[in-house]
Amino acid sequence: MAPILSVDRVTKYFAGLAALKEVSFELRQGGIYGLIGPNGAGKTTLLSIVAGALRPTAGSVIFQDRRLSGAKSFRAVRAGIVRTHQIPRPFRALSVLANISVGSRFGLHAQRSASGTRDERRILEWVGLAHVAYIPAATLSVGDQKRLELARALAARPKLLLCDEVCSGLTESETLSVLRLLREIQQAGTTILYVEHNLKAIMSVCDHVIVMNYGRKLAEGSPEAMQNDPAVIEAYIGRTAGT
Amino acid sequence: MKGRLNKGVSSPSKFAAALAPFLLVAILALLPLLEPGSETIRLLFVTFVWVTVSVAWNLLGGFGGQVSFGFAVFYGLGAYAAALSLNRGISPILSFLLAGSVAVLASLLVGLPTFRLKGPYFAIATIGASEAVRVVMTNVSITGGASGYRIMETGTFHQLQHFYTALALAVIAMAISILVQRSKFGLALIAIREDEEAASDLGVNPFRAKLLAHALAAALTGAAGGVYARYAAFIHPQGVFAFSVGVAILLMPIIGGVGTVWGPVIGAVVYGLVHEELIASFPQLHLLLYGSLLILIIFFEPGGVIGLLEKSFRVFAYTRRLSGSHPQR
Repeated sequence: MAPILSVDRVTKYFAGLAALKEVSFELRQGGIYGLIGPNGAGKTTLLSIVAGALRPTAGSVIFQDRRLSGAKSFRAVRAGIVRTHQIPRPFRALSVLANISVGSRFGLHAQRSASGTRDERRILEWVGLAHVAYIPAATLSVGDQKRLELARALAARPKLLLCDEVCSGLTESETLSVLRLLREIQQAGTTILYVEHNLKAIMSVCDHVIVMNYGRKLAEGSPEAMQNDPAVIEAYIGRTAGT
Repeated sequence: MKGRLNKGVSSPSKFAAALAPFLLVAILALLPLLEPGSETIRLLFVTFVWVTVSVAWNLLGGFGGQVSFGFAVFYGLGAYAAALSLNRGISPILSFLLAGSVAVLASLLVGLPTFRLKGPYFAIATIGASEAVRVVMTNVSITGGASGYRIMETGTFHQLQHFYTALALAVIAMAISILVQRSKFGLALIAIREDEEAASDLGVNPFRAKLLAHALAAALTGAAGGVYARYAAFIHPQGVFAFSVGVAILLMPIIGGVGTVWGPVIGAVVYGLVHEELIASFPQLHLLLYGSLLILIIFFEPGGVIGLLEKSFRVFAYTRRLSGSHPQR
């Protein structure tokens, strides 16, 4: 089976500073992929490039056999790639439902109908925001803002969902419920690329993990293999004394 | 229950609220029958023109959050386009359409480069565009340059034509504003105002939406400039292209309440009436007073008159509930 996304030798410089150096990987349809690495490893930069918000300095991103040019994220959305943000960015003056409408009315298969369709309500129920549908998004708690971020992205009907640290700042039980959501999203047929700091969260939900460090891909494989990979352990914990 | 997108007004008097604008327009349309005197008619005419441009500015500035100081460009070009066209014997309606079209063209020329800038940078760029056009128009010889341009219509017509064209234009502007607020396009604009990148990350094309809102606003502003020019019968660059015109156009929706349908209307009415009084009473000081007013509003009530009304209404409803005269839900 052809990969849904292939990232080929992507390099990104910011004012002469390399954030990414020749990163390549492939995602297959229907998986949950974890993207981990220490602070500054280039995870969010890579995510932004795949989401079309940044243009790579070199290399290419091919999604469903189409090369994405980058620098216009709405084009990526219309191709089927939607991202969430690490720090939620709700449209504060709009109601929770209207926030979701932005996704459903401008995303893939954008809907013409007015706000409040069955699909939008189903998504609200699913992420557990139905009881706050009509209140302004500015008044939501951080946990609910994270849920809204996810709900809004889902409303745009992504084929590939890019999640940037959806669990950071959440309590243990909130984390579990978000991870359960990710599983359900995957089961509904969406491929997920999940950037996360929380190793436990990544290990519990992903089928395959890509590890980055200093802008390069360090290793990739099953969560178990990565947990035991010496290079990964070194990147995260540091060199063991004596080696 | 069907969800209202952008603002929920769910009171039992919903029907009355929906009917009120039609009633208001009917009263205004029938008003001349009472022969209220030419001064009242003139004041109303000017207010209708202000309502049109205020509502127009709000499409881009209020819903879309793009603060432009450059609307005098569209107002002035519309005025000149209509003036040139009227003097060639072209019908007023066609002249106003031409005025709107010229303004749309100008909005694209201004918008294509300036919408690549964000926030205050965009605002500053619009000041530059506005001043550049004013300077050019001051030196264009076919329209008389700085000494101005006179409109001489050959046919005869009733003076009330001015009143009714201005009223019709204001109604059109209101209708567009209401439609935009309820549409998918309006949702895109508000999303852009709230967070442009996040809007793009959900499939909104911000550049296109902003250009479209700018063009729509320019069309209305240009037509309003044309209607005004025909009434004034004499226009000059220091008048219609003045920086103070650009500021006035932005001040009205801010006074009334940006990003709402009725705020810009209220702001224009307040401005239209107060403006006359202020100029008459304090000819040297009126601009200073506007400046102070703007600062006060931004500091104390960014929602404008509408925001103030909503707040007082909430306080009123709350105290009524506390006093127990209204059963709690």
